[in-house]
Amino acid sequence: MRITFSEWTKSGSPWIWLNAGAVAISIIMVVGLLALIAVRGLGHFWPADVIQATYQQKGNPHTLIAEVVERDMVPADQLRGAGIEVPPGAIELPRDLLKVGNRDFGSADFVWAMDHLVTDVTRPPMLFVAERTEWGNFYGYLRELREAGNTVARHDGYDKNDAYMALWNEFQSRIDRVLEIRAQILQIEKKEIGSINHEIERLRLKQRSLELKQSTDVAKFEAIDARRAELNAEYEVLQAKLLGLYNEINRDSFIAEIADGRQVEIPMAKIVRAFLPNDMGIGDKLVHYAAKVWEFLSDEPREANTEGGIFPAIFGTVTMVILMSVLVTPFGVVAAVYLREYAKQGFITRLIRIAVNNLAGVPSIVYGVFGLGFFVYFLGGSIDDLFFPEAKPSPTFGTGGLMWASITLALLTVPVVIVATEEGLSRIPRAVREGSLALGATKAETLWKVVLPMASPAMMTGVILAIARAAGEVAPLMLVGVVKLAPSLPIDANYPYLHLDQKFMHLGFHIYDVGFQSPNVEAARPLVYATALLLVIVIALLNFSAIAIRNHLREKYKALEM
Amino acid sequence: MTSEVKTHAIDISSMQRDQRTLKLEDEVHTLKVRDLKLFYGDKEALHGVNMDIAKNRVTAFIGPSGCGKSTLLRCFNRMNDLVDSCRIEGQILLDEANIYDRTVNVADLRRRVGMVFQKPNPFPKSIYENVAYGLRIQGIKKKRVIDETVEWALRSAALWDEVKDRLHESALGMSGGQQQRLVIARTVAVKPEVLLLDEPASALDPISTLKIEELIHELKNDFTIVIVTHNMQQAARVSDYTAFMYMGDLIEFGVTDTLFTNPVQKQTEDYITGRYG
Repeated sequence: MRITFSEWTKSGSPWIWLNAGAVAISIIMVVGLLALIAVRGLGHFWPADVIQATYQQKGNPHTLIAEVVERDMVPADQLRGAGIEVPPGAIELPRDLLKVGNRDFGSADFVWAMDHLVTDVTRPPMLFVAERTEWGNFYGYLRELREAGNTVARHDGYDKNDAYMALWNEFQSRIDRVLEIRAQILQIEKKEIGSINHEIERLRLKQRSLELKQSTDVAKFEAIDARRAELNAEYEVLQAKLLGLYNEINRDSFIAEIADGRQVEIPMAKIVRAFLPNDMGIGDKLVHYAAKVWEFLSDEPREANTEGGIFPAIFGTVTMVILMSVLVTPFGVVAAVYLREYAKQGFITRLIRIAVNNLAGVPSIVYGVFGLGFFVYFLGGSIDDLFFPEAKPSPTFGTGGLMWASITLALLTVPVVIVATEEGLSRIPRAVREGSLALGATKAETLWKVVLPMASPAMMTGVILAIARAAGEVAPLMLVGVVKLAPSLPIDANYPYLHLDQKFMHLGFHIYDVGFQSPNVEAARPLVYATALLLVIVIALLNFSAIAIRNHLREKYKALEM
Repeated sequence: MTSEVKTHAIDISSMQRDQRTLKLEDEVHTLKVRDLKLFYGDKEALHGVNMDIAKNRVTAFIGPSGCGKSTLLRCFNRMNDLVDSCRIEGQILLDEANIYDRTVNVADLRRRVGMVFQKPNPFPKSIYENVAYGLRIQGIKKKRVIDETVEWALRSAALWDEVKDRLHESALGMSGGQQQRLVIARTVAVKPEVLLLDEPASALDPISTLKIEELIHELKNDFTIVIVTHNMQQAARVSDYTAFMYMGDLIEFGVTDTLFTNPVQKQTEDYITGRYG
């Protein structure tokens, strides 16, 4: 059946198609975005095969040991312009990005190589990859193990056999030993010495504050000195223990053969893990993958944030968002209750509502500037003058920190909470309020016992929107407390446990830092995707938990059908 | 000329009531309305109403929509205070004290004059908490006292047997009729002197309506009841005294039987015979 164009228009079909198309495009874009960052980010942790090949660089063949990271097509003209020989007839040629590692023995750890110049590609099973605490990955063949400079075991050869595997197993067990010692060192340095330092610093401030007050209480000074002497003694003990551990960890080293045939010695203390990617089955690779992902989630960053994990950033983000929610919810709710329930409705309340709505549209960096100027310098400076004069000239609250960042973001998101709560309050049926008033409840009692509980799902909606906005904010945080690398978490075992004055790490800033401020862009790129994915997941989780709370409340106070 | 046959909208013979002769003058008057005028902004909604509400009797307000009967009812517990533009002249005396006096605590007044609304409005809490709400507001904390009062109130509202096994379930899961009886129980629980019912059965099915009416009959032993209703049969069935209001005026007020069988005013007669739309 044929219909005319005007009939088709009248039927509404084009309108439906248009709407459906818009929805489809939105969904495709969101899914595509998530898929891109998921694939790019998660692929990074997979142990890729390591190839050994001959590279004809300007007619000068040499051996390469590398991971193929990426391949792209380069137009032939561009290559000819660069003086590279191109076979006639070719329009474009593949080019590989190879991760050759061994930054301490070569120049760059990534090289671009024309694919057709890379020949004799093999995947020898005994090629190993070692992740290190510095200088990035190491690729090579294991040759010799040394203990305090003396050879313990040695094997020459490239094939997999029992002798090589025996050497490899010995290597692994020594790595395990190093990891164990490193954990102990970390425990002493971070936890034990950390808390001693913390207490000594507090003693110093206490003494300084006594001096500022021109106290003549000799007993107090003596008590401080005595305690300090105790702590120093403890510190000495720990230091001696640490020295022993450092000697232990530096005992072993190994010698490996790298691509150009050199045999190099590397201290075992720098190794994080070593594996034979070409010799691993799918099961081993999965185990390795899981371990890498777990390291990413639970460890601290290494090497200018390009290796290791991002746990402090996750922790900082979540702590900041939770603090922000705790601050913004009561404030927004109280403001909304006044505006909706108590204030006389009229010109001024309308004006305030418009102002609140517009506040939500102010660019976030403006809040950052305000936070820095007002909260950090003015309020923080005043707090330091009043309460922490002993710490001066180094600022306590007079510099960016967790508290100021949370407050700035709370200010940024308070309009959302106010608007959502007001909407919720206006939806509570008049009949329910009257029911409470008719029983002799005052307005305040009605508010507390009936209206606010019923409006709580709407408040949670406000909090959800606030979290969604705040968790992804980076610009204002850069001004009020986020840093590239925080020495310690904002919550720890040292009094007062929650360190509101400390600077912290944040996933959003971490993406910016790793992606654009990193000395090793190629190494950092996959981490940008992985961190972005994680940021999305963290925000989603925070939101889902808020949504779960809201649904629970909704079920409890489900609106009356009136 | 043949005399006009009165076609009553109400079957008087079906009315079940005690045959005692009621006389308004002989009653104890809980509420006295004196020259009550009420304004919404500039508009005068009640034009000087005078009436006496008898103690432990049911007084019904009837009249067409917009005649001011609900407005008058809401004056008794100062619910109209919630309307910003509302202004009142005249007096309402509860036990000889003007409730519009400046010294009156509105929350206390509402405790003494309870109100049930047109649509059931239970709180989104458990059945038990709904009934206990007024008690908790009064600061009663003893669990035993609250338990006893809740049971008494639910029994008074003829609801106890239906809900005694699910006291701690949400009140929102009950049927409309049960919800309305719960609201009555909730109001009764604070033991008010006067019970105001604003079309309490208009949103309910006939069986629930019947239950509410039976309940009103029971409750009048303990409370003075004022009920607003659209339904003249209902007024005739449940009330002892009836007031007919029209356009903000109290047209006629008297013993229900008399008002329905032998109205004095022409307007009343037109209304109850269905000649007024």
